[in-house]
Amino acid sequence: MAAPAPSAPALRLDGLGKRFGTTDAVVDLSLTVPPGEVFGFLGPNGAGKSTTIRMLLGLLRPTAGAARVFDVPAADVERAHRWLAYVPADVALWPSMTGRECLDLLAGVGPGTDGRYRDELVERFALDPDRRARTYSTGNRQKVALVAAFSTRAPLLVLDEPTSGLDPLMEREFRACIAEAAARGQTVFLSSHQLAEVEAVCSRVGILRSGRLVEVAGLADLRRLHRAEVVVELGTAAPDLQHLADLPAVSDLRWSGPLRLELSLSGPPGAVLRALGDADVAHLEVREPTLEEIFLDYYGQVPA
Amino acid sequence: MTTRTAPDRAPGSTTPPVPPRSAARAATAAALREVRRGTAVLALVCGGMTAMVALQYRGMDGALGAGSLAALAENPAIRTLFGPPAGLDTAGGFTVWRTGTVLAVLVGIWAALTATRLTRGDEEAGRWDLLLSGRLRLGTLVTRVLAVVLCAAALVGAAAGLGLALAGAGVRGSVLFGACLAGTGMVGAALGVVGAQLFGERRSASGLAVAVLLGTLLVRMVADGVPALSWLAWTTPFGLTGRVAPFAADRWPPLLALGLLVAALGALAVVLHAGRDVGRGRWAGRDRRTRPSRLLTSLPGLAVHRVRRPLAGWAAGAVAYFLLIGLLATTMTDFLRDNAAFAELAAQAGFAQLGSVQGYVAALDTLLALALGAFAAGRVAATAADEAAGRLALLYSRPVARARWAAVEAGTTTLAVAVLAVAAGLATWAGAAWVDAGLGPGEALAGALAVLPVALLCLGAAIAALGWAPAAVLPLGVTPAVGGYLLLVFSDTFGWPSAVRALSPFAHLAAVPAEPWHAPGAAGMVAVAAALAALGLAGYARRDVRT
Repeated sequence: MAAPAPSAPALRLDGLGKRFGTTDAVVDLSLTVPPGEVFGFLGPNGAGKSTTIRMLLGLLRPTAGAARVFDVPAADVERAHRWLAYVPADVALWPSMTGRECLDLLAGVGPGTDGRYRDELVERFALDPDRRARTYSTGNRQKVALVAAFSTRAPLLVLDEPTSGLDPLMEREFRACIAEAAARGQTVFLSSHQLAEVEAVCSRVGILRSGRLVEVAGLADLRRLHRAEVVVELGTAAPDLQHLADLPAVSDLRWSGPLRLELSLSGPPGAVLRALGDADVAHLEVREPTLEEIFLDYYGQVPA
Repeated sequence: MTTRTAPDRAPGSTTPPVPPRSAARAATAAALREVRRGTAVLALVCGGMTAMVALQYRGMDGALGAGSLAALAENPAIRTLFGPPAGLDTAGGFTVWRTGTVLAVLVGIWAALTATRLTRGDEEAGRWDLLLSGRLRLGTLVTRVLAVVLCAAALVGAAAGLGLALAGAGVRGSVLFGACLAGTGMVGAALGVVGAQLFGERRSASGLAVAVLLGTLLVRMVADGVPALSWLAWTTPFGLTGRVAPFAADRWPPLLALGLLVAALGALAVVLHAGRDVGRGRWAGRDRRTRPSRLLTSLPGLAVHRVRRPLAGWAAGAVAYFLLIGLLATTMTDFLRDNAAFAELAAQAGFAQLGSVQGYVAALDTLLALALGAFAAGRVAATAADEAAGRLALLYSRPVARARWAAVEAGTTTLAVAVLAVAAGLATWAGAAWVDAGLGPGEALAGALAVLPVALLCLGAAIAALGWAPAAVLPLGVTPAVGGYLLLVFSDTFGWPSAVRALSPFAHLAAVPAEPWHAPGAAGMVAVAAALAALGLAGYARRDVRT
């Protein structure tokens, strides 16, 4: 496989929009993913993740804007798809073809496949490739698509909820494959609901809500921008600390006992530390929010 | 979610939702919704066609003499192709003879395809998993859907009988004919449900049901043509319709046999559902194959892989049918030369020059055009079905433009259609050579290949539909052949203006091998087909992929 233009972004979406009838599925989405990045694409059901991915694959025609893959227009699939491999959320295969035949076909029409790596992946994902596709479970069909995608060693991997049917062992294998791909310099565009997975493998995430991109940030920045959970344990009671709740950076002050308090902190921690300075603090813990907490913040919901 | 409503009653004391009275009734209603439109269309077609032919006969005012009638009744070729003629001296009898077989095949195939669509199709798509997670059992669901499709077929038969009766053909015969047609449709429906229990894929189930149904048509042909085997007629709906002989003998006992046949097949379908898993057929085939197909490494290879089995099935059917046509060539032409009145009537129905073996073959090759057109449209419909099922998403994520894959499929289908035509031509020649009918292999092949432009028109129309109306590929694809054929027959019957007649592709076909090949007509049709295909490919490349 020849290399794509070295300076071009792996993926560039410019004001991308898609309207189905009167419904705006995706609105004015602009995003650039540089080569070598592992990018997480988050959003609840129906936010427009799959629609965006299908537009950047040229399966759907944008009603506004444009998508480019290594500077090739997404609609020019014969060129653009030489640089990418795709795993759909719902993998459909011809029922009478075996897994191996599906892999052979995809390799045959693709831009080039590393046969030895493919055999290794079949082993690692514990896929029985001689079974007909009609006997495969959702997870097994997903494995076929994953093996086909990873074995191309394409510079860009577009993965649309690729692990929704995989068991934890296979998911661990999947994360290892992503790490190997990232180490080789491949770009990964990963749409997922599995926030722990995104947290484990992605360096930057974009959050989509109702077809609009509401946040794009590195994971570390994202955490910094958001509230931290602070847990304070005291040696002696300090009633004065009640006024911590008045500080603008503090929200949700909870006393779980006379000697233990928890609070959510957004912004710099200086004022809180000064207030704690006079108290008899026995233990202080500052915990960064999980991606799940950040995610839920965006959608204004707390787990039940 | 932490939002909670005020606890006005203790948790757990909420009244459970009231279930509908009968889950089976809900399943029946769902099946009814799926068949009602097709049933209405087919009932109109059948009722309209029988009424029209009966009225046409009455307009001719007894031009068919008693001598011709007697000869018709005696001739094995006529009996074989159009079914045993009986009661041709009445409008009803003539209509039954002229339209009976065609309508029975149409209704039977429709019922079989509808049955497999509602059973195996819904099951394959996973819709039955949801239904069966409720209170419904598989047996109840199979029985209910079977009942609905049987009723739909019965309604279509009743409409045909009603059309005849309204055209003044006599009530007793109309009722019997309607019952025969209904019975044939019901056999098709039951065969469809049987196929759905045996095979895990809708295509295989449909193939089995249609093949068995058309096989019973061939059995009837044999039973009518070979006196020693005439008892075989009691085993096929087409043969039983002949035994009933509406408007002639008006026998009802064969109807009982037809009813028994339907009941037996229906019972078989219900019995077969037991002991199989939901989502799988009883004949699952082997689940493993250790030697991968060598074809599946390129787009043309995939296209060939996908067309192999359907082509083999269609070729087997075409060879069997056209071998029989060839074998009957001499008996048919001898008869026609001796019956001027019948030849004239045949000419009026679109069968010109039946008197020579070449004319006879040319006339029957028209039917080949219908088959080839249906095959071509069916292949494109399979591509549309692959797309709707999401099977093309992975292929299209590779450097494969949609228009390229569609073009590869179209090219493969064109070759397959040509193979089918050659097979039919050679079979006609082989049959005719066996009885020394005086038909050369070149003539037989030329006759079969001459109808290719019509099949290409169907292919072009189907590709245009794939690009612009992907939900209607099959109906739009067969329109040039089926619609064109009906348009020609109606134009000739009712003397419609020549501009209307010229819209039919068949108006531009010469009766090869009786007449020389009409190159401008063929070139024109190929040009239109190419334009339609180009339009369709452009649309397919532009539009959104459906999943």
